[in-house]
Amino acid sequence: MIDIITGILTTAFLAGGVLALAALGEVLAERVGVFNLGVEGLMALGGVSAIITVTIVQNPWVGMLVAILVGLIFGMFFAFATVLLRANQTLCGLALTILGTGLAASVGRSFAGQPARASFPDVAIPYLSDIPVLGRAFFSQNLLVYVIWIILPFAINFLLFKTRHGINVRAVGENPSAADAAGIKVIAIRFWYVAAGGAFAGAGGAYLTLAFVPSWSDEITGGRGWIAVALVIFAGFRPTQAVLGALFFGVITALGFVGQARNWPVPPAFLSMMPYVFTIVFMIVPAMLAREGARRISAPAALGTPFYRDQR
Amino acid sequence: MANDFSVSRRGLLSLAGGAAGLSLAPNGLLPAAQAATNFAPVKEENAVIGFGHVGPISDEGWTYSHHVGFLAAKKAYPKAKFIEVESIPYSADATRTFRQFVAQKCNLVILSSEYGDLLANVADKAPTTAWMECNGHGVAPNRSWYYVKHWFPTYVTGVAAGLMSKSGKLGYVGSLPVPSVYSGVNAFLMGARSVNPKATMQVGLINSWFDPQAAAQMGTALIDNGCDFLFGIMDEAAYLQVAEKRGVPCVMWNTDVRRYGPKSYVSSIVVNWDKFYVDQIGERLKGTWKGEQKTLLNMGEGVDRDAWGASVPDAVKAQADAVRAKILAGFNPFTGEIKDSNGKVRVPKGATMSEMELYDWNWAIEGVTGLKSA
Repeated sequence: MIDIITGILTTAFLAGGVLALAALGEVLAERVGVFNLGVEGLMALGGVSAIITVTIVQNPWVGMLVAILVGLIFGMFFAFATVLLRANQTLCGLALTILGTGLAASVGRSFAGQPARASFPDVAIPYLSDIPVLGRAFFSQNLLVYVIWIILPFAINFLLFKTRHGINVRAVGENPSAADAAGIKVIAIRFWYVAAGGAFAGAGGAYLTLAFVPSWSDEITGGRGWIAVALVIFAGFRPTQAVLGALFFGVITALGFVGQARNWPVPPAFLSMMPYVFTIVFMIVPAMLAREGARRISAPAALGTPFYRDQR
Repeated sequence: MANDFSVSRRGLLSLAGGAAGLSLAPNGLLPAAQAATNFAPVKEENAVIGFGHVGPISDEGWTYSHHVGFLAAKKAYPKAKFIEVESIPYSADATRTFRQFVAQKCNLVILSSEYGDLLANVADKAPTTAWMECNGHGVAPNRSWYYVKHWFPTYVTGVAAGLMSKSGKLGYVGSLPVPSVYSGVNAFLMGARSVNPKATMQVGLINSWFDPQAAAQMGTALIDNGCDFLFGIMDEAAYLQVAEKRGVPCVMWNTDVRRYGPKSYVSSIVVNWDKFYVDQIGERLKGTWKGEQKTLLNMGEGVDRDAWGASVPDAVKAQADAVRAKILAGFNPFTGEIKDSNGKVRVPKGATMSEMELYDWNWAIEGVTGLKSA
C-alpha cells in the first residue's frame, strides 16, 4: 500500500509539475488582466525546442533555458497583439494554440518518438530521501521539483501579495484606469507579465519532454494547457492554490495508470478520461460557490478587457 | 496504358470532391470484369510504388522498420518511382491518402498497418492498384495481407523472462485489445510458464500504439505494482527508459533500441521487411503478383529475437536459444492443454493451435490479468 501511494505521488509530482509551471504562468498573465488561451501552443513549442536543443547540446538545463526563451518570445508576440494592438484576447489565444501546436508538430517531425538525448537526472537528497513515502516521491526527484513546488509558488505569492510592486500589478488587472492615474505603467506591466507567463508555459513544455516523458511526439501536451487555464480559475488566481490544484491533477493522472496496473474493475477508458472530467468539475464548482465566496475567488475585474488610455 | 488512364481519371474525380467521387465510382466507371487482368507486367522505369506508414518514420520502432524496408526496395529498383507517406491516421482521413495513391497511379501500395474498411472502400473502387496491408484481415483480388509469426520469438523471450524474473510477476505495456496484443501476451507468458509455472502477467492498455507519455506512465505504474520484468508492444522505446531507471529488465518490439536502456535491454522482437518488400515489388513488376494472399513470415524470415542484451546471464541465453532452435526445427509450443483466464479449457490436451488461430487469438491464457477473454 505504501508503495502504491509512493508511486502515485512520484508520478503526481512529475505530471503535476508540468501543469504547475503552466498554471503559474497563467496566473501572472491573468493577474494583469490578460486571458491567455495560448498556453497549449506555448507548451508544445517549449517542449519541442527543448528536445531539439538537447539533441544538439546534451544538457537538459540548456534545453530548459531555450524553451523558456522560446516561450518568452512567443509570449511577447501574444502580448504585442493583445496588449499593444489590443486585439481580441480569446481569438489571439486560440490562434496561438493552433500556431504553436502546428508549428511544434512540423518542426518536431523528425524527432517524434525518439527518447530525449538528455533528461533531468534524479538526485536523492541525503537524509530527507529516507523519509517514508515523501522520501522517494519528492526528495529523490530531479532538482526542478523544489523550484516548481516550493520556490516559485511562494516567490510569486510574495511578489503579488506582499510587495508594493505586487499591489501595482494587481491594480493593473483590477482597474487599469485607476492604476494608470496613479502613475503605474499599465501597458509595460501587462506586456512583460504576459511575456513572462509565456516563458513559464514554455518551461512547462520542457519539463514535460525532458523530465516527465522524456521524449517528443505530436500532441504530447494532450490538453494540459487547457487544464492549466482551468486550474487558474479554480485556484482563484492564486499561485499557491494553483500549484496544489496541479498536484491534485497529477494524482488523478497517476491514478488512471495505477488503476489499470492493479487491475481495478474500472474500464481503462474511464480512467484516462478522469483528468478531463475533473477539469469540467473544476469549472463548475467555483461558479456554484461564487455567491458565497464571490470576493475570494472572483477574477481580476479587468480580465479580458484591453486598456485604452485615451478612453478612460 | 488505357487502364492507367482510367485510373487517373477516377482518381481525379474522387479527389475533386469526396462525395461526388464516391457516388460516381460504383456506377460502373470501372467494370468488375477488369479485375482479372489487373496486374500486367510493368517496366521498372514506369512503376510507381506507394508506401503508407501508420506513424512517423523517426519512431525508431515499427514505422522505422518499414521505412528501412522502403529504403531497401528503393535501392533494389532504382528506376522505379517511390512515394512514401507517414502518419496516416485510423480515420476517414486515411481514405484521402489512399485515393491520392490511386491518383498517382501507384502499381502497388504497401501499408504498414491494418486499415480495414477504410482501405476496402478505396481499394474496391481501384482494382488496378495492388494493395498490401500489414496485419490485415480482409483480402480481395487486388488486396493481400502479410504479417510475422511474432509469437515464436515472443515465446523464446518469454522463456528468458521466466528465468530472470524473481517474483514471476511480468508486466505488459499494451495498446488495444487486438489479436497482436493477445498473442504477444499469451506467447510471452507461456514461454515464462514453461520454466516458472507460477508466472503471471499484468497487462496495461494505453489505447494507442504511439504515445510515449502514456507508455512511460504505464511502465512506471506496472513496476510500482510489483512487476519485475516488462514486455510490451509499442512503436517507440519510452517504457524501456523507465525500466532502465528502475533497474527492471525489459523486452522490446520492432528494432534494436538497447542504447536507450543498455542495462535493462534483454532482447526485442525485431522485424525485417527488406526481402519481403523487394520480392513483392519484383512480382508486381513481373506481373506475377497475386491478390487474396495471406502471408505470415516465419521466425528467421521477417521476425526474430534480437541479439541478447548485456545483462542476460549466459545460462538464460543458452536455455532460451535451445527453445528457439527447437521451434525452428518444427516444435510448436502452442499445444494443449491451454486454459483461458476464466479457467475454461480452450485448447484440449494434445491439440495444437493453427496458424490462423494464433493470428486471430482473442482470449487470454490463465495467469493473465488486465486483458479479457471473449
